[in-house]
Amino acid sequence: MSKFIDRPRYTCALGGALATLRAIPRAIPIIHASAGCGHNLHNAINAGAGYLGGGYCGGLSLPSSNVVERDIVFGGEARLREQIASTLEIVDGDIYLVLTGCMVEMIGDDLDAVVSEFLDYDKPVLPVHTPSFRGSSYTGYELVLSALIHKFVRKQRQKTPLSVNILGIVPAQDVFWQGNLKEIKRLLEKLGLKVNTLFGEGEDLESIRNSGAASLNIVVSDIHGIQAARKYEEIHDIPYITTGLPIGAVGTEAFLRQVAQALSIDPAVTERVIAEEKAVYYNYLERLADLYNDIDLQRYAVVVGDANYVPAVTRFISDELGWVPELAVITDLVDDNDKPVLLKRFENFESGLHPVVKFDTDASSVKKYLTEIWPANHNDKYFDSFGPTVLIGSVYERDLAQQYGFPLLTVSFPVTNRIVLNHAYAGFNGALSLTEDLFGLLVAAR
Amino acid sequence: MNYLEAKSAPAREDRLKANIAFGGTLRDIKGCLKKGCFGSEGCLNLAGRRFSQTQGCQFTLSLAILNTLRNAVIIMHAPIGCGICSISNVGVNKTFKQLRDPQSEGIIWLSTNLDEADVISGGEKKLREAVLYADKEFRPETIIIANGCVPSLIGDDIDSILADLQTQTAASLVPIHCEGFKTKVMATAYDAVYHGILKNYVKKPERREYIAEPDLEKIKEKYRISRHVNVLNVGSMSRADELELQRLLNALGLTVTFIPCYAEPEDFEYSLESSLNVSICGTHDDYFVEHIKAKYGIPFLIDTIPIGRKNTDRWILKIAEHFGLEKEAQRLIQEENRELDKSLEPFRQKLAGKTAFIAGGEVRILATAEILQDLGIKVLGFKAHHFDQFVEPIFDSLEDLDDAIVDVATNQPFEQANILKRLKPDLLVTHVGGNNIAAKQGVPILPLFGPSYNYLGYSGVFEVARRLNRVARNGQFNKKLAENVPLPFKQEWYEKDPFTYIKQQDAV
Ligand code: SF4
Repeated sequence: MSKFIDRPRYTCALGGALATLRAIPRAIPIIHASAGCGHNLHNAINAGAGYLGGGYCGGLSLPSSNVVERDIVFGGEARLREQIASTLEIVDGDIYLVLTGCMVEMIGDDLDAVVSEFLDYDKPVLPVHTPSFRGSSYTGYELVLSALIHKFVRKQRQKTPLSVNILGIVPAQDVFWQGNLKEIKRLLEKLGLKVNTLFGEGEDLESIRNSGAASLNIVVSDIHGIQAARKYEEIHDIPYITTGLPIGAVGTEAFLRQVAQALSIDPAVTERVIAEEKAVYYNYLERLADLYNDIDLQRYAVVVGDANYVPAVTRFISDELGWVPELAVITDLVDDNDKPVLLKRFENFESGLHPVVKFDTDASSVKKYLTEIWPANHNDKYFDSFGPTVLIGSVYERDLAQQYGFPLLTVSFPVTNRIVLNHAYAGFNGALSLTEDLFGLLVAAR
Repeated sequence: MNYLEAKSAPAREDRLKANIAFGGTLRDIKGCLKKGCFGSEGCLNLAGRRFSQTQGCQFTLSLAILNTLRNAVIIMHAPIGCGICSISNVGVNKTFKQLRDPQSEGIIWLSTNLDEADVISGGEKKLREAVLYADKEFRPETIIIANGCVPSLIGDDIDSILADLQTQTAASLVPIHCEGFKTKVMATAYDAVYHGILKNYVKKPERREYIAEPDLEKIKEKYRISRHVNVLNVGSMSRADELELQRLLNALGLTVTFIPCYAEPEDFEYSLESSLNVSICGTHDDYFVEHIKAKYGIPFLIDTIPIGRKNTDRWILKIAEHFGLEKEAQRLIQEENRELDKSLEPFRQKLAGKTAFIAGGEVRILATAEILQDLGIKVLGFKAHHFDQFVEPIFDSLEDLDDAIVDVATNQPFEQANILKRLKPDLLVTHVGGNNIAAKQGVPILPLFGPSYNYLGYSGVFEVARRLNRVARNGQFNKKLAENVPLPFKQEWYEKDPFTYIKQQDAV
């Protein structure tokens, strides 16, 4: 039983589907819904994902049937048929996915039947049911991938050895998706793997079509992308592993070892790659040895965001930056069954710290937890206050940050106060960027 | 006009016979207006498209006003996606509100997050929980409940639920019925919002009555009201725009309150202590001012928008006429024009002879054309979100534009792409939104409005000139994009008439 949400940090299934398609070159969404849905979702995705932009045929270019009340009364199938046909006439794409909004699902338009009339078109036209009420952006990502895996990915009995697909990073919802995928690809290629990130640099529709040849799917998330991985397993016979989102040396080492083990890669190779990467990484990180210790740059921290970032960032700042994270709030709609795996990620911190972990979707809750974990000063002369503290969250945390005087780094959706192009937080390079950004806040006034 | 007994405002295609799909020249459209093609018997009222692109709904446009109201929490009664566009506003909203009141908070909203189970059994329970939570947690003066398409299809009786809840909340509850599928004309949003405001915010203020009130005080109060006007601002206006209009009206001895955007609930009550409601845009305000006139007897003025010199002159004169201040107004206009005219000279020298295309709201684009003409720029064409009677007063301010292309289209960048490819303007002045397509056509773009820039009044003319000149000086960003990034439309599309996909009448 779901509840209302105070300022959601995700769009709906349709929004997630649109963002996912935004990440596939020359994939054209055709929205079967009222006139507002596409526009509304674009405004959220564009701004929330560090100004992702509409892309090739997104934003206000999104083809949309724009059904109105009359269509709802009489059914919108005729309008949909007309819209698909006209889109194929005008818009130059390599694949067309017809997505539904809530109203046309409620009136029972037969999407699959209408779309099947376009089977003969020389490019694929696929239906995906994505009404808003089916779930959040993450659901939309799973729904689009499932449709592609089911109807578009080429079946290949013969798997390419040492080839992997990366799942679990949801475009736009992970604001740094493109940079993150690039870094993950770079690292795994060093292990000798052939890496298909499905989206992002170097990938296109063909990558997705050929993803059936992978011998392993790596889901870099404990809860997102798993439905897609299961679909691949079921239809294309590709096993999968789940890892967390690797951020920092500790996280990325564990990640590389886990992948290497799953693919039986020679441990010597893995260890050599890790050693190389760490040498470079520490060569950079070492620069902070002076300043960190000269002016005491250790900080308390509060981390707020999605299920991929919060565990990874919290461990990174605890075990590598030597900070003191006291509170971690995971804001996704997390199923009760999924909570234990996420909680496990907060166990055994090398620092020995045990931050309080909360699952809560509401923007106003973060402040309540803060007062819970650290009581306010009641005019005591000597008071061990909660500070200095850095808040790592989304732009929703800005009021809280201002109120407490905490510097804020926005890393999770929505991020409207930054421009994000190829910036990354994953892997070794991403952790260096995260370090730059965090400490950058602290020296900004110097 | 009285629609207030009804649950919600009627759609504009019914009430005003507004049109969203037309292609031709300005001459054609003037002819159509005369012939009544846009009227109830008209051929154009229900026109649509065989191919369409997403255009926005009245829910999203309603939020543009609702998000500005101070001391309010908004509940989006809908699945999780509706209204999430507020994300694009969340960062700047507080700053803009604080320009009016330094204590203001940013936007707070809740989504009732209707899911599959609610679609079957109704959203009432979640709506109740959300309202009670908002009241207890944020203690706002008002809680605005905006509903999307789903509750309306499930048949949630929102008004009754809220009437019942009102007895349990400290905040007053304001339903706004703005479900997207009810209308093709996004501007219906203004009526939907005003409908809620009229029913819930507008009431005579409770003033403390003195037992013995000295006559002098009464006379003063009467005088104050007799010299006070409300100017109805729009979400796209900036604080600088407001200050400019205020400056001009103060110069005539009038005082001003701005509603509805960035207003506080009690501003609507005090707005009744006023002697004239002044619209700056008929498209935005007719529903509100007509109702206020019918119910409270306050006259109104809907004429032109004060963008461009002639339009500003005319706007000031019309207001002055109401107060018998024509002479003062003439003097003001003369003085303002003299100064402004001189200041525009350097820009005229640089911009004269260039060509432009303007896209956005009907009233605003035509008025902006006046500024461009003032600078010697030739306006090649327009794209208007929709079209109705409210543009007529602006025609007077324009010179010789009968051959300009007019595309009536809410967004629909594909049509604009085709038109721009033919017209090849030097400059584009456009509404926010679809500009990633226009940018890839390589044209330098000046936004048609912006909440941190001045466009209105005399200072607005200067600001537009100044910025347009800057934009025209270096268009490399878009030019390079055009050289390197493809547009999504097939070659065949550019060979077709840009209005090929407009169908005259939707088959019912
Ligand atoms: S579901 Fe309706 S109200 Fe919601 S965004 Fe779409 S058109 Fe607008």
